[in-house]
Amino acid sequence: MSQPRRIFIALLLLIAGLGAAQSAAALDVHGRSSTQYIWYNDIEDGSQQAQLAEYLSFSMNGIDSANKLSMQGYGRLNYDLKNGGDVQSRLYYLFADYKGLADRVDVRLGRQFVNLSAGSALIDGIQADIKNLGWVGVTLLGGRDVLFSEQDTMTSHFYSGGVAMYLVGVKKTDLDVSYYRAYDHSDVTRDILGLNFNQYLLDSVKFYANARYDLTAEVFNEALAGVKYFPKLDMMLTAEYYESYPTFDTTSIFSVFAVNKYQEGVLKADYTALAWLDLSGGVIRETYGDGGDATVYEVGFRMRPSHQLTVGIFYDNRIGYGGDLNGFKTYAEYSDLKKLKVAAGIDYDVYQRDDMTGDEIARRYWAATRYNFTKKMSASLRVEDNVNANYSKDVRGRATFDVDF
Amino acid sequence: MKRLLIIALFILGAAITTAQAGSLVIMLAQAGSEAPAPPAAVETKPAPAATEAPGAPAAAETKAAPAKTPGTPQKQDHKEYAEMEVKECTSCHKGSGISPNHDADWLRGHRLLAVKPQKNCKDCHNQSFCLDCHTGGGINANLETENPTVNTAPSSHRTDWREIHPIKAHDNPQTCTRCHRSQFCSDCHARFRGEDLMVLSHRKGWSNLQAGSPGPAHSTFTADQCQSCHLNGLLPKHVWSSDHAREARRNLQACQSCHSDGQVCMTCHSARTGLRVNPHPRNWDKVKNSYKNKSSGRSCIVCHDNY
Repeated sequence: MSQPRRIFIALLLLIAGLGAAQSAAALDVHGRSSTQYIWYNDIEDGSQQAQLAEYLSFSMNGIDSANKLSMQGYGRLNYDLKNGGDVQSRLYYLFADYKGLADRVDVRLGRQFVNLSAGSALIDGIQADIKNLGWVGVTLLGGRDVLFSEQDTMTSHFYSGGVAMYLVGVKKTDLDVSYYRAYDHSDVTRDILGLNFNQYLLDSVKFYANARYDLTAEVFNEALAGVKYFPKLDMMLTAEYYESYPTFDTTSIFSVFAVNKYQEGVLKADYTALAWLDLSGGVIRETYGDGGDATVYEVGFRMRPSHQLTVGIFYDNRIGYGGDLNGFKTYAEYSDLKKLKVAAGIDYDVYQRDDMTGDEIARRYWAATRYNFTKKMSASLRVEDNVNANYSKDVRGRATFDVDF
Repeated sequence: MKRLLIIALFILGAAITTAQAGSLVIMLAQAGSEAPAPPAAVETKPAPAATEAPGAPAAAETKAAPAKTPGTPQKQDHKEYAEMEVKECTSCHKGSGISPNHDADWLRGHRLLAVKPQKNCKDCHNQSFCLDCHTGGGINANLETENPTVNTAPSSHRTDWREIHPIKAHDNPQTCTRCHRSQFCSDCHARFRGEDLMVLSHRKGWSNLQAGSPGPAHSTFTADQCQSCHLNGLLPKHVWSSDHAREARRNLQACQSCHSDGQVCMTCHSARTGLRVNPHPRNWDKVKNSYKNKSSGRSCIVCHDNY
């Protein structure tokens, strides 16, 4: 039995014990258990597959009298009902959070998702937020990267660490600079400086910028600048410029190759035209260098003709380098506002991967329902059929039994 | 026995909760009398981009928005609002000068919100909300959420994703790497026949080219005849074209997804053998020592004896 599986099973037992003890102590345990039966066709050989999965997430408070310590966890066990074999597991996160250490530091220890403007990772490690330093706050983090394969958790020899400094207490301004470094064994694979900036102005404008500078390649790996204008809260106009220069781990041979800069200009609009009607639209112009470019147009409607019914239609059209894609997605969702919710939709795409192939059509038809037995217990069923270049019929779906606690 | 153990484990998560609230039978019996509501969950909100937008009419059963306090500080704790519909946020935020951020463009734009050090995502969302998409989870499976396997797929992974992803991967190539390491691509591509995955640069661009001007088309020659004109040529196969350099510069990640070790590139780009075509960027002289020192020369030694 692998270590993550042992940890996860131990965790299940721990939660069971704590749950039983909850009434006697001040311990406050909340979470969700989702037991799912999932069936699908294998992407490679088309054979029918079926899995039984148990997802469990929890948060635990009230562990100490000062309520400074809390724990959170999320994991999955799944078993292949068609082919048998071992129970597979995935521990997404399991960490302890201690707030207000010496009234200055929040510490998070364990498996966790960390995210800085310079980089992000899922790590087994530690994150510390140092506060009450005046107008600046500091975040420090580091640990071993967690890598999931399709079946299990892989042994990782990657390590990540970072530090961020950010502005505190300046109204309507966010600014942080961060540094992120990743290792493969003892070699430095990534060395990135990050910046994130937001500035609100005149109660109706937001300027924002984000950048990642690769210290090894000495180029901006990513840079973004944009403005949002919202004269009313039911209308928002967005203009954005983004560019990226693909960089690779320094240990990869691809890191030494010359590449082109990718650039993107975005114009978007969101508008609530009526109390029951939301409209959105946009255009994205993409440039790849050497004369390669593409344009993406997007339009969306979301309607709520009644409290029970929601209907959405979203269309987009991509033309240019890399292939053409022209598709829509529509769905309707009905809720009786009591116990029952039903939904159905159609996704339809026409695409051409390059000039030497013809158009292909891919369709997805789906229907789903959820029934709430109580406020904390529900079951759902979703079935879909895919008709496309690979399948004339590809029925797959999911049945769930969810319990919140 | 083993199956029984497995089944017992699967239902354990559900059982511990029912143990808290009373027996399953009692819960079912209460079903008829309890106030109707969506399942209260650690995550109560569906994927915002797909289902929520500011300004839509309020649902019949949602909490009233707490009154806005004049001079509310910017970084207010939003935990008490966690169960509200996103569209209700506008009632508080009206006039606050803070833009709505769960709009129709949320899927593309949420990255900038998530990297802020003082982000308040956690006031409403657990990390499972992030990781269900970023690392393949499934506990927040809403009705519209698709699951190709036990890992649910984000809404960006549309219809026949296996066929369409090469197109979508061109829309900001960095997007793929936010969730997937390069090994994810190469592991999957290795399972399919290379011919099925061919892209423009790998097709027979040579067939209409004339051998000399005027001269016969290249398609009239056999592979055995290549060497008669292209003495010591490195490309005896009719599967290459000059497009490869342009395509590689535009989207080198795509090359890596099949040629993960880059050995095929060394046919022409090694400093030891072949055509010895320099593949480095313009600022290479400035940065090469940095690459060498940080990687302990691991990428240098592939092509160079002395570096």
